[in-house]
Amino acid sequence: MNKVWIISDHPETAYELAGKAKTLGTSLTAYVLGDNDVAQRVISFGADVVKLMQLPQTTVWEQYLSVLLQEAGTENPELILVASTCRGKDLAAQLAAKLDCPCVTDSKKLEEKDGKLVLQRIIYGGLAYQDIECNTFPVIVTIAPHTFEKGEPEEKQGEIFNLSLIGEGPIQVVERKAKEAASVNLAEADIVVGVGRGLTQQSGLAMFEELAKLLGGEVGCTRPIAEDLKWLPEERYLGITGKQIKPNLYLCAGVSGQIQHVYGIRESKVIVSINNNENAPIFKVSDYYIVGDLEEVIPALISALK
Amino acid sequence: MKVLVCYKWVLDEADIFVNEQDLSLNFDKAKGKINEYDRNAIELGASLKETVGCELYAATVGKGVKASVNDVLSRGPEKVFYMDSPGLDSLDSSVTARLLAAMIKKIGGIDLVICGEGSSDFYSRQVGPRIAALLGYASLSYAVDVQVNGSEIIVTRKLDDGTEVVKVSSPAVISVLPEINKPRIPSLKQILAAKKKPSTSLALEEIGLTEADLATSLTFGDVAAAIMERKRIRIDEGCQDISEAVAKLIKQLRADRVLN
Repeated sequence: MNKVWIISDHPETAYELAGKAKTLGTSLTAYVLGDNDVAQRVISFGADVVKLMQLPQTTVWEQYLSVLLQEAGTENPELILVASTCRGKDLAAQLAAKLDCPCVTDSKKLEEKDGKLVLQRIIYGGLAYQDIECNTFPVIVTIAPHTFEKGEPEEKQGEIFNLSLIGEGPIQVVERKAKEAASVNLAEADIVVGVGRGLTQQSGLAMFEELAKLLGGEVGCTRPIAEDLKWLPEERYLGITGKQIKPNLYLCAGVSGQIQHVYGIRESKVIVSINNNENAPIFKVSDYYIVGDLEEVIPALISALK
Repeated sequence: MKVLVCYKWVLDEADIFVNEQDLSLNFDKAKGKINEYDRNAIELGASLKETVGCELYAATVGKGVKASVNDVLSRGPEKVFYMDSPGLDSLDSSVTARLLAAMIKKIGGIDLVICGEGSSDFYSRQVGPRIAALLGYASLSYAVDVQVNGSEIIVTRKLDDGTEVVKVSSPAVISVLPEINKPRIPSLKQILAAKKKPSTSLALEEIGLTEADLATSLTFGDVAAAIMERKRIRIDEGCQDISEAVAKLIKQLRADRVLN
């Protein structure tokens, strides 16, 4: 491939994408939210040109759409990789519509084979995957953070520009609030104890917390526990729209095993589940399971570990 | 204000089964349903109808979507527009957005389009922003709160690094996150009333498109179940009581070196 672009409002993902993009194209331009240091880093990971797109004070970042369209008109990129963040996905979809080209969301694969681009998506909430081929360009592909490993930085020269908006567009930003720093990083935890709707009383969370502490792990949960009941903060829910984890051990109780949740835990090394319904779907994706009441099994686990 | 909600009629993923021999998927038992994420979009439309008194329409495209008409009408919209054809199976987001945008143009005068975040089958999360770009409307995605005052729309967006409150004058396309609301379950009265509400079937030519507009340059390969190789061992089998099962489990996890 000749020209490849990456677009990212998240520096770390820009580094990951630059490393990958370098193997696919002969020239690489990166459109990144960040400062000069970020730009130098993107260059060290493979970009030839970096165009910085600062977060505008008064309008949304996606407003860069019109600048990018103008750039695409003269540069003719064949492949555009976009960091699959919220802003990234919105911008990618709008850019694809304007360029009248396909866009593949959250591809897990990115390979060139016989002049075609081979991509892969997870579909049906994690139940299946599907290969997708593309042989007409341009094509836009969004890639989630951590999909590809960051390469080794190299000594490299590149050009850095600041990109300006063309007009402010109709959307005015009234207020921005940064998210409170996460108190926990479930993605890094070796052991995660999961809790689902099988827990009927909020007070029962204490035993999950005690178990997690005993195991040196963290508590995670299903979406309803965080979103509907608000018993635990959002940063702790696991699933396709929540956190995706890769612990050595995922031990859960009261989790039915809906595929949206399973998507978030599928890369766990060992999965253990406890559920009082012997037909619970979670058992099908578990290495070990106990059919039993979590109110009995969790305290028994705690006393056995003590 | 005229508001239109887009929705997708999807197969219920909970009823899709894996054929273990060849890892193919069995859809025989899977029935259609209104995509869960779109129920939040419909609910937002229904609540705006109550609070600001807008006109509320719904629109969908796909194969077999006629079956969805009564369901969607029972959830609040006064009227539904749909395009149902066998050729509209498993549409790529680019095509879905093209068809819906053309329908919206044909209907005319739509000030606000509401979409769900994505669909539970392919979850590409593109249709809302694509429709916005095709129609030249503002795209307000990842919405967790929406306030409408006359033609002014204020949306709180939940993004990766925090929230962003934005203001825009209509027209706009809002794509909502599931946490924005809790969709109501239609009452029997609403279900019965839905049967009397109008629905309009639109054909490709009527919205100014041709067969060529259904093409995508992507080639979709076979779908294979993402099977997880798991042991599926029932620990409490043959155990006298819970404490024995628990001891057995801990021993096993230590043997597997996932527990100290």
